[in-house]
Amino acid sequence: MAILTLNNVQKNFGETAIIRGVSLDIEEGEKHAIIGPNGAGKSTLFHLISGLYKVSAGSITFKESEIQDKAPYEISRLGLARSFQVTNIFQRMNVFENIRCALFWSKGYRYSFWHLLGRQKELNEQAMHVLEQIGLTDKALFPSGELAYAQQRALELGIAIASGAELIMLDEPAAGMSHSEAETSVQLIHKITEGKTLIMVEHDMNIVFNVADRISVLVYGEVIATDSPENIRSNASVQEAYLGEVATSA
Amino acid sequence: MVQLKRLSIWIGYLVVMLVLPQFFDSILSVSIFNQMAIAIVFALSYNMLLGQGGMLSFGHAVYFGFGGFLAVHTLIMIEFETVYFSILFIPLIGGVFGLLAAIFIGSFSTHKAGTVFAMISLGMGELIAASSLIFVGFFGGEAGISGDRTYGPPFFGVEFLRDVEIYYVAVFWVFIATVFMYLFTQTPAGRMANAVRDNPERAEFIGYSARKVRFISFCAAGLFAGIAGGLFALNYEFITEETLNATTSGRVLLMAYIGGLGYFIGPIVGAVILTLMNSLLSNYSDLWMLYLGVMFLLTVLFLPRGFAGFIMMHQVAWVRGTIKQLALPYLLTGVPALLVMLSAIALIEMSHVEADVLQFIGFTLEPALLTDWLMVGIVGTGSLFAVRKSLPRLRDAWDSANTIPSEGGS
Ligand SMILES: Nc1ncnc2c1ncn2[C@@H]1O[C@H](COP(=O)(O)OP(=O)(O)O)[C@@H](O)[C@H]1O
Ligand SMILES: [Mg+2]
Repeated sequence: MAILTLNNVQKNFGETAIIRGVSLDIEEGEKHAIIGPNGAGKSTLFHLISGLYKVSAGSITFKESEIQDKAPYEISRLGLARSFQVTNIFQRMNVFENIRCALFWSKGYRYSFWHLLGRQKELNEQAMHVLEQIGLTDKALFPSGELAYAQQRALELGIAIASGAELIMLDEPAAGMSHSEAETSVQLIHKITEGKTLIMVEHDMNIVFNVADRISVLVYGEVIATDSPENIRSNASVQEAYLGEVATSA
Repeated sequence: MVQLKRLSIWIGYLVVMLVLPQFFDSILSVSIFNQMAIAIVFALSYNMLLGQGGMLSFGHAVYFGFGGFLAVHTLIMIEFETVYFSILFIPLIGGVFGLLAAIFIGSFSTHKAGTVFAMISLGMGELIAASSLIFVGFFGGEAGISGDRTYGPPFFGVEFLRDVEIYYVAVFWVFIATVFMYLFTQTPAGRMANAVRDNPERAEFIGYSARKVRFISFCAAGLFAGIAGGLFALNYEFITEETLNATTSGRVLLMAYIGGLGYFIGPIVGAVILTLMNSLLSNYSDLWMLYLGVMFLLTVLFLPRGFAGFIMMHQVAWVRGTIKQLALPYLLTGVPALLVMLSAIALIEMSHVEADVLQFIGFTLEPALLTDWLMVGIVGTGSLFAVRKSLPRLRDAWDSANTIPSEGGS
């Protein structure tokens, strides 16, 4: 059963059509990768799904409710979490607070001004557990804005997965990482998305083929193919549009 | 351990406030303490907006003044026996109306932070200040309105005739308000205020409406500003349009900023410093606003994290026990720096004074004498030179006090 359905989604910025009618079904529990050249509209597609941008036309259904007109926080509360390609954290707060804030809503604290955080044992333990997963335990009290790049990426991921959302969307989680850092990220992604649905944009083909059950190829705002990794690898038009360049440059 | 330490800080805070009038019991000092008490609550409430929530307000006096006006109206109602309760609860009346005003204005001003918020706060401030001169029945026009706190029922025999009695009422409310404002920072709503300050976009992706988070902080800030306004009403027993205009809004911004926005105690420090400057300096010089402006400028330029930030900068050296190394270099730079400052003030006062002689910290200066100008000028320039000479040494001392020596050594 599809957890997320995109039906002829379009997005224009002024005169320019950036997303030109994307239809896509994401099955519950699948790991779906979106690949495509720079500027194809992958991040824009993420922004449309997560509510940051409003669609110009088309509809998006998440767990049977239409979300294309909802605000990001409403979509997030339905159980859709995402990370950003450009690190997007709470700079002046420490690492632990970043993660704990990401847990509040799903733990039912809402806008509470009557719960003292020092007393919320379960919440604090859970935040520490997430820190452990992303390998930032010893940086818990460190100002997040002063972390090293790879650690900020790990925190970026941590904020997205903390709430335990059913659908997790990661926008280039390994961008700018060294080979070994990327390796660690893959393991981390495997671990934290177990039993969940994942949509991931990633340029590193090793990661894509390692993680994905299905791959969609987005070129100039259109999905030109959605298929299993094997079929995508041998698909001629994909080769031409995208993989060919990567294969020669890699 | 940590809890014990925190508790002892709170007890210390309360004890200091309680015993202050025992040491300084003149009418002037008690009146200064009352002003400080009011300023502390007001400045802390302002920091809920700017420091904790990232909302730069130029109109926070609206909630202070509105709460104050309603408090004076309540005093009048007590006087005419329309209502009957102890004036001890007057600050709460101010708080309720500060909150109501914040709910109303916040409902549209918190949609955005940044420039939009700042401009709306400025506009609302001007609007309310202007309307206070229109609705004379409520605001009393230029003269304001006045009440009398002594008509209320005595509270356990206390009739609130003396300022020091009001001071203890103020201490009660300052302590409660400080505790609650601190506790607010320890709640999910308080933490999300920080998160929205840092990154409103991302906050929306973890389930929070940035607007609503801001609105909650805004209302809380209005509530406590109103309590401060209620304290003002109790203390002065009258209130005018000035309490809700841009001057008052500007002053609370200065207090919070000079104290340090990034620390909970920052606004307390700022409120104490500015109240002292306000009441002491204004006795000596009518140029004190100029000095205040210069101090604000210097703080923005050299102590961007305020006085509290300056104190906290020494934490590392304190923990490492290297703070002693800083004493002498501080003295060597600090004393000439003080002389530079005093010479500058002397020169300004000399050009400003209308009398033939100027009494300045024990010296008698005559603006008509060129020699006096020269003398002050030479002291000032010499000191400036000494500051420049000693600065590198201070910098070195600072570095060596704050860098951890490498394990291996050489
Ligand atoms: N807010 C915007 N306004 C105008 N153009 C945009 C905006 N966001 C993205 N674009 C354009 O849309 C295209 C796709 O961008 P993006 O989705 O970031 O690509 P990708 O993530 O696939 O590299 C680019 O040409 C980019 O310049
Ligand atoms: Mg992108």
